[in-house]
Amino acid sequence: MAPRWVWRLLSAPGLLFLAVFFLVAFYAVVAVGLGNVTTQFQPVPHWNPLDWNVGYLREALSNLAPGGQMWPVVVRTVLYIAVAMALTLLIGYPVAYYAARCAGRWSGLILALLVLPFWISYIMRLLAWTNLLASDGYASEALNALGVDRLFNTLGLMEGDDWLGGQPVTVIIALVYGYVPFFILPLYASLNRLDQRLIETSRDLGASAAETFRRVILPLSRPGIYAGMVLIALPMFGDYFTQDLMSGSPNTNMVGNIINGYVQGGPDKSLGAAMTMLLSAFLLIFMAFYLRSLRREQREAE
Amino acid sequence: MNDTSVPSPSEKHPEEHSGVSRRSLLTGAGALALGGGALAGLVGCEDTTTPVAAAGAGGGAGIMGDPTAGGPVDPAGIPLARVDYPVTLPLIGDPVKPGEPERGGVLRVYNYADYLNPAVLNAFGEENGVKVEVSTFETLDEAFSKLSTGGLEFDVIFTTTDQISRLVGRKLLQPLNYDLIPNLRKNVWDVLQSPYYDVGPRYTVPYVLFTTGIGWRNDLVSYDPAEPIWDALWDAERYRGKVQLLNDPREAIGAALMRAGITNLNTENPAQIEAAIRDLIKLNDDVRVKVAINGYETLPTGRIVLGEVWSGDVLSAAISYLPKDVPATALSYVYQEQGGPIANDMIGIAAAAQKPVMAHRFLNYLLDADVALENFVDFVGYQPPIRGIDPASLIKDEVIPPNLANALVTPEAFASANAFLGLTVTGQRLWDRGWQQFRAG
Repeated sequence: MAPRWVWRLLSAPGLLFLAVFFLVAFYAVVAVGLGNVTTQFQPVPHWNPLDWNVGYLREALSNLAPGGQMWPVVVRTVLYIAVAMALTLLIGYPVAYYAARCAGRWSGLILALLVLPFWISYIMRLLAWTNLLASDGYASEALNALGVDRLFNTLGLMEGDDWLGGQPVTVIIALVYGYVPFFILPLYASLNRLDQRLIETSRDLGASAAETFRRVILPLSRPGIYAGMVLIALPMFGDYFTQDLMSGSPNTNMVGNIINGYVQGGPDKSLGAAMTMLLSAFLLIFMAFYLRSLRREQREAE
Repeated sequence: MNDTSVPSPSEKHPEEHSGVSRRSLLTGAGALALGGGALAGLVGCEDTTTPVAAAGAGGGAGIMGDPTAGGPVDPAGIPLARVDYPVTLPLIGDPVKPGEPERGGVLRVYNYADYLNPAVLNAFGEENGVKVEVSTFETLDEAFSKLSTGGLEFDVIFTTTDQISRLVGRKLLQPLNYDLIPNLRKNVWDVLQSPYYDVGPRYTVPYVLFTTGIGWRNDLVSYDPAEPIWDALWDAERYRGKVQLLNDPREAIGAALMRAGITNLNTENPAQIEAAIRDLIKLNDDVRVKVAINGYETLPTGRIVLGEVWSGDVLSAAISYLPKDVPATALSYVYQEQGGPIANDMIGIAAAAQKPVMAHRFLNYLLDADVALENFVDFVGYQPPIRGIDPASLIKDEVIPPNLANALVTPEAFASANAFLGLTVTGQRLWDRGWQQFRAG
C-alpha cells in the first residue's frame, strides 16, 4: 500500500474542489442574506462580515417562527417530510434487507433495478406522472376504478378525485417515490456488510427469528437507516419542484416553494437568501445527528 | 400583510453604488448555480440606481423619457407607461446596421412554452440557413431574473408590457433597426404602430394580443355570463379543485381588484392590495384553486372546468388541445369589456445578441401576414395584430368557432384597453409580498 501522504496528495484537489464550491456558494448566499439592498431593492451582497446587516434574517425568522406569516408552511413542510420519511422507511427497509440478505443470485438484478430510475431524471419522471395522474390519465383512471380515491376520501387524506388538484397525499407519495432509492442504497450497503456469524450466533443461543431481527439486525443496521434518512431529509426540505408539478396549490406549498418564490420573483431576493440560511441552520441539526451516530458506529467497530 | 417593514439599510451603506464589481458578482453566480440553482436569481445585482433615462432620453415624442416629469418611474428611472401616458424609452446603444444576416449556427429565442409554431420555426430556419432554438420560461419574473444574471444569452426575447422598461433599464435589449422590419409598417394594426409602452417604436414589435377573462366548459358547468364576471371564481365552490387562477401575481391579484370594482390595475395602494390578498385567500379556502397557466390544456381535457384564463388559452384549446370527444362548442369565454385587461406580448432583440441581423429578419418573418396566420391558427391560438387577419372572417371561415368570437380582440377594443403595466419598485414589492402571503396557503 502506498504511504499515507500519497493519498493525502491525491485527494487534495478533490477536497479543495468540493470545499471551494460549497463554501463559495454558501458564502454568497450568506452575503446576500446579510447584505443590503439598493434603493431599488436590488440585493447588494456584503462580503465583509463587519458590514453584515441582520435585518433580513430577523424578518425571515419572524416570518417562519410560530405565529408568523409563513409558520403554516413550516408546519406543513415538517409534517409532509415526516410522513414521507416514515413511508420511505416502511417501503425501503424490506427491499434493502431482501436485496442484501435473501435475494441470493437475484441481488444484483434488484440493485440494478434500484439504480434504474436514475437513468431518467427525477423531473422527467415527475412530468410523466403529471400526465398519468391527470384526471384523464391511465394511473388516475386505474386508481379511481379501484376505489383508491374513495378510500382516501373516507380516510380524510384526499378531497375529490383529482390526484393533481392540490392533494397533500400526492405530494407526499411523490416525495417518497423520488427519494426512496437514495434511502435504500446506503441501507443496502450497511446490511450487506452485516456479519452473518452474529445472526447465526443469535439463533444458536435460542433467539427466535423475530427476536434476532429486533435485538441484533435492527440495532446493527441503525447507522445505515440514519444515513439513508439524513440523505433524503436534506434534499426533501429544499425540494420545490415536486410540489410545483404534483400540485401547485397554495395549500400544499412547502418552504422550498416559498424560498423559490422570493428568489425567482420580485424585489425580495435578500429575504429568500435569509430564509435559505435559516433552513440550512435547521438542517445542521440533522447533519450533527448523523455525524454523531457515524462516529459512534466507528467507535463500536474499533 | 402582517409585515411590511423593510429592514433599514445599514448606516454605513445608505445607498450602495460601487462596492460590488461585476466580476465578484459573476463569481458568485457560478458558485450559486452549483449551490443548487435555487439562488441563481440573486446575481447581476449591479447597481441600477442611476436613472438610465436621464442619460440618453433625447428625441422622444412628448415629455416621456424625462424622469423628472413626475409620475411613477421604474427601478431604472424610466417613466412607467400607462395606456393614457405613453412613454418613449431611452435609446441605449445603436441599432444594428443593415447587412447580411448571420447564417449558420443557432438563433436563440427565449419565450413561454408552446408559444411559437414549430412549423414556422422550421420554415424560417430552412429559408435562412439557421437553426432556431427556443428556451422557455414559466413566469416573466423568472425570465427577468435569469436574463439579468447575464448567464443566459439569447438573440430574441419575448416579453410583455410590464417588463419592457426594466429590460431596457438593465440594458438587456437593443434598439431595433426598423428598416429591417418592413412588415411592421406594412401589416400591423395602426393602434400598435407606435404603442404607448414603446413610443416610436424603439425596442419592440408586437407579437400577439389577449384579454384576461373567465373560460369555462359549458357542458360541465352551469354559469351565467351575465353575472359580474369575476364573481364566477368566488362562486365556484361546487367545482372545488377544478378552478384555475393564473399563476401570475399581476393577473391573480388583478382579478380580486377588478371584482372589488377597482379600475386602476396598477394600483400601489396597500389597503387595496391587502384586501385583494384577503379575497384570494378566501377564494382558495372556498374553491381550492389551481394556480397554473396551462388552461389551454387543462380546460379542454376537463382537468379544470372553469378558471381565470387568457383569451388565447381558449382559442388555443379549441385549435390544438381538444380531445376527440369534446367539441369546440363546449368551450366558453367571457371578459370584462369595460376596463378589463387587454394587452399584447412583444418581441425584442437582446443587447448581447450574436445574430442581430438574423434576429431582425426573424421578427420581420413573424409579422408576415401568412406566417402570422399559420402561427396563430395552426398552433399558438393567440391572435396577432395583423391587418389581414380579420376576426369576422376567421369566424366566417370556421377557423375559430363562433362561440369563442369574444376571445378575439378588435383594434377598437384594444384602443380602449386597460392593462397591467410596470410598477415602481415599492409597488412591485407590495404586490410580490402579497402574492407570497397568498402562496403560503
